[in-house]
Amino acid sequence: MDQQPNVRIVLAKVGLDGHDRGVKVVSRALRDAGFHVIYPGLWQSPEAVVRTVADEDADWLGISLLSGTHMTLVPKILKLLADAGLTHVGVLVGGIIPETDIPKLLALGVSKVFGPGTPLPEIITYLRAEGSRTHA
Amino acid sequence: MLDDLLVRLGNRDRLALARVLTLVSRGEHLAAIRRAVAARPEGTPVVAITGNAGVGKSTLVGKLAEHLRTAGKSVAVLACDPQSPLTGGALLGDRVRMPSKPDDLGLFIRSVAAASGHQAVAEHVDLMIRVLAAFGFDVILLETVGAGQGDTAVRDLADVVVVLVQPESGDEMQWEKAGLFEVADVVVIHKADLPGAERMEAQVRELLSLPGCREIAVLRVSSAKGQGLDQLWNAIAHCPKRAGELEPAAQLLLRRAQQVLAERLHDRAGSVTPLVDRWKRRELDEAQAADELLHVLVD
Repeated sequence: MDQQPNVRIVLAKVGLDGHDRGVKVVSRALRDAGFHVIYPGLWQSPEAVVRTVADEDADWLGISLLSGTHMTLVPKILKLLADAGLTHVGVLVGGIIPETDIPKLLALGVSKVFGPGTPLPEIITYLRAEGSRTHA
Repeated sequence: MLDDLLVRLGNRDRLALARVLTLVSRGEHLAAIRRAVAARPEGTPVVAITGNAGVGKSTLVGKLAEHLRTAGKSVAVLACDPQSPLTGGALLGDRVRMPSKPDDLGLFIRSVAAASGHQAVAEHVDLMIRVLAAFGFDVILLETVGAGQGDTAVRDLADVVVVLVQPESGDEMQWEKAGLFEVADVVVIHKADLPGAERMEAQVRELLSLPGCREIAVLRVSSAKGQGLDQLWNAIAHCPKRAGELEPAAQLLLRRAQQVLAERLHDRAGSVTPLVDRWKRRELDEAQAADELLHVLVD
């Protein structure tokens, strides 16, 4: 384990999107790379996701969206995070995101968007480089 | 930074609570945090839920938490899941089976990774419990990782240990081997809506009625049907204190003393290392070395 221990990441499925194969593959890859992955399950509301991030003191929130609702749900989650005093939490988005929406999401404050076909090591390398955000 | 955090914790700032639990789980600033939360307030019940993987611990913890919330009690849940001994990684998925009520501030759920070798609960869980009790939660539910043989640490951490079994899960010799009931204050036949629950209950009762067994409540509970939760909480709340053991306060002090010794062993490495070297060179026998070590640590 050459990385910082115990980087905590919440991986979330929000709304009615039930396609969880991708998020499960990423969960396993991150676990095997030494991360602590908190997966709260399908059909989470934005409020529930933010509550989970707060109570779990996560460094990162990864949102998996394959339903085309990203331009509605992601801004909502970012606002709720800010309202909750959680601006230090890095937000990643994965799933089916049209090329034209990626700059918009980044401009809103998303740290990185990982689309289909992203090699798993790319995500791991990115998170390792960024490290933990919660050291007091 | 830390002082500020601990002041916020004292002011019941929930984000500060979450961060302090992170520090505790990382083993950082333990002494300062311990001072800040003082002793666990008397009467904050700690209930451990244990049992084999897949028996329904998370689900039952979730149902119990909902039940307690309905009764007006605030609840903190510490849900332990295993951490890989190879990579240090962990997939913490207990929240999947627990209630998702973001507006309810009377419910706090925290997932913690338990390294192997820590007896099915995470390191420093005792201090996490104290932090949560000091924060003012009425009840603390501690979910262990799927327990196996000899995971008895929960017994020292919790006032009441609830052991879960399910129908069609081996015969009584399996449990005798596993020693699962040794730690139990309450035994729950979970998934009691499945066939075989009554026979299971009969087997458990027979086993527990053998000479030399303690008085242990046995209940059938179905989380799927929401049956038996009332009776379960009743059994937990009225569980008789364990006889023939140090009282919890004394155990707390003993554990605290052990932790102080461990911390000093680390802090005073300068004095400890030469002693260890002398022992390795056989200038001292083990008993003498241990004796001198105690002086180094206590003086």
